[in-house]
Amino acid sequence: MEGFLQLLMLGLMEGGLYAIVAAAMVLVFKSTHVVSLAHGQIMGFGALAFWIGLVQLKLPLVVALLGALGFSGAMGWFIERAAMRPLIGQPLFASFLNTFAVFLVLDGIFQLILKGESYSFSAYLPKGNISWGGFTLAITQLVSFLGSLLVFLGLALFYRWTKLGLGMRATAEDHQLAQSTGISVRGVFSAIWVLSSATATFAGLALANVTDIYYTLPYMGIKGLVVALVGGLESLPGALLAGLLLGVLENVSAGYLDPLVGGGIKEVAAYVLLLFVLLVKPYGLFGLVRIERI
Amino acid sequence: MWRPCGTFDETYQKDMAIVRTPLRWAVLLGALLVTGLLPVVVPYYFVSFLNNLAITVILVMGLQIVSGYCGQISFGQAAYMAVGAYSAAIFTQKLGLSFWVALPLSGIFTGLFGLVGGAPSLRIKGFYLAVATIAVHFVTMWLILHLEVTGRSHGLAVEPPTLAGFVFDTDERMFYIIMPTMLLMTYGARNLVRTKVGRAFVAIRDNDLAAQVMGINLFYYKLLAFFISCFYAGVAGCLWAHLTLVAHFEQFTLLHALWYIGMLIVGGMGSIPGVFFGVILIRILDELVMVVSPVLAAWFPWLGSAPAAGLGVTAFGLVLAFFLIWEPRGLAHRWEILKASLRLYPFAH
Repeated sequence: MEGFLQLLMLGLMEGGLYAIVAAAMVLVFKSTHVVSLAHGQIMGFGALAFWIGLVQLKLPLVVALLGALGFSGAMGWFIERAAMRPLIGQPLFASFLNTFAVFLVLDGIFQLILKGESYSFSAYLPKGNISWGGFTLAITQLVSFLGSLLVFLGLALFYRWTKLGLGMRATAEDHQLAQSTGISVRGVFSAIWVLSSATATFAGLALANVTDIYYTLPYMGIKGLVVALVGGLESLPGALLAGLLLGVLENVSAGYLDPLVGGGIKEVAAYVLLLFVLLVKPYGLFGLVRIERI
Repeated sequence: MWRPCGTFDETYQKDMAIVRTPLRWAVLLGALLVTGLLPVVVPYYFVSFLNNLAITVILVMGLQIVSGYCGQISFGQAAYMAVGAYSAAIFTQKLGLSFWVALPLSGIFTGLFGLVGGAPSLRIKGFYLAVATIAVHFVTMWLILHLEVTGRSHGLAVEPPTLAGFVFDTDERMFYIIMPTMLLMTYGARNLVRTKVGRAFVAIRDNDLAAQVMGINLFYYKLLAFFISCFYAGVAGCLWAHLTLVAHFEQFTLLHALWYIGMLIVGGMGSIPGVFFGVILIRILDELVMVVSPVLAAWFPWLGSAPAAGLGVTAFGLVLAFFLIWEPRGLAHRWEILKASLRLYPFAH
């Protein structure tokens, strides 16, 4: 029982990170109806920018954080401008494939910058453990988890209380109606890419904190996509729940099944869950069911 | 279709023929003869490049059928190729079958496996299906890495094929297996897409609900598309395993699957010649990067000592974005335009 609770806690911590990556994708999908693979890379670049600011330039923590957010926001803006906007009006699938082209371009650049090395953040957070009531948790994971909950809270408040958030919600309902009420849909698209890129960067920072910056970091974006699909592509609460669910499922199944099959359950649990959920509920747990007309 | 003035189709057979005039027969036979002589004439490096190209063509041809014609985007093609390679290795090495039996058999086995992978397409489509096929990729590769029969992380060693005492153990010799197989499978695909089945695929791609209303059995045809596509992947995998003499999971990563989708987009979705254009262009780009990157590394030291991998991926992504934005119908569309303007040559329209 003790072991189970330990795995549960660990799963919740990791699930928080998945939820943030998924939230970035849900943000983009809600307003632009495009699923973005590119956010995995933006995540990696944001983390890299933070590392450069903090470790190489020795900036204060807050300045480095703001710098990384600004950098990734600018990146999101540029991607929207250069790659997504020319495809407005084309089939949505072309936009999806174009995010995948962007993913590849950035992947190559990321590899060129890293040159096969890995960077770690030992400078700003202690890598110790906290023991409390029989549980042991890494401090870094705890900080990441609380950070991701804060990001979710911030997103919820932003959507609920700001004018831009209202515009985003209106755009998510219907592009033409939103346009006719005086909302600049293109402006919203740009804003949403900036916002989602910054969100993804938070996830990147939290992840890099746990696993170091390595060339596989951007591929965590694919897992975020899985989480977004499981939760339903339109639903932010769905992303949070699915992220936590996946984190718990991965750790618990790894804890109990790994000894039986010889390891590696953790890599595949997410995809099995996705296939299962899509077969039962094709639009995810909380997604909108689309009714198609010919 | 170009044909000289005064050539008319008098029978149905003539109207449907792929090769229509004696001149085209002469060109075709000449081209086949030249292809057959290639391994004797050209250097080794070029032959191995051609082998690689031909196997990729077979693989992307399968992808063209399921994605380009039937509209079910599949990121699982690399995993299916892995299934083909591993099953071929098991058939020839562990069960002791001959290569000539294993070649179609691994195709059929992969096809049946693909039915499982294609099952989600009955419920979901578009992005959802694309990500589900990514999931299928990871689950398949995980199984290959963890099952006893696939040799886990070591992979399986493969013996070269033999025919009546003759061993196909060099690239030049394998060329005579790979190239005919590729031509045969291209011929098959070319004909498949203009039969009832091919038309049903196109109808499903354009609108699957409308297709269903017209009386097309979605269940049957979507799974058939996956079966055929995976058959192609299985054959490609079998050839690949017997060419490289090993079936190893690192040869079939998600990045490979992304490259195959990219070749399809660059070549043009829904076109058999498009497969050739896409594969050839991307492979040449790849080789070009291999040649150029050491030069670039010498000029710009900050690129590091081995920039080929990163530069290759970046160049590929840029080409892909270029095609998606400016030429979404791919090179095949340019090819059609070129053919039309040649046909009308002295006149503008």
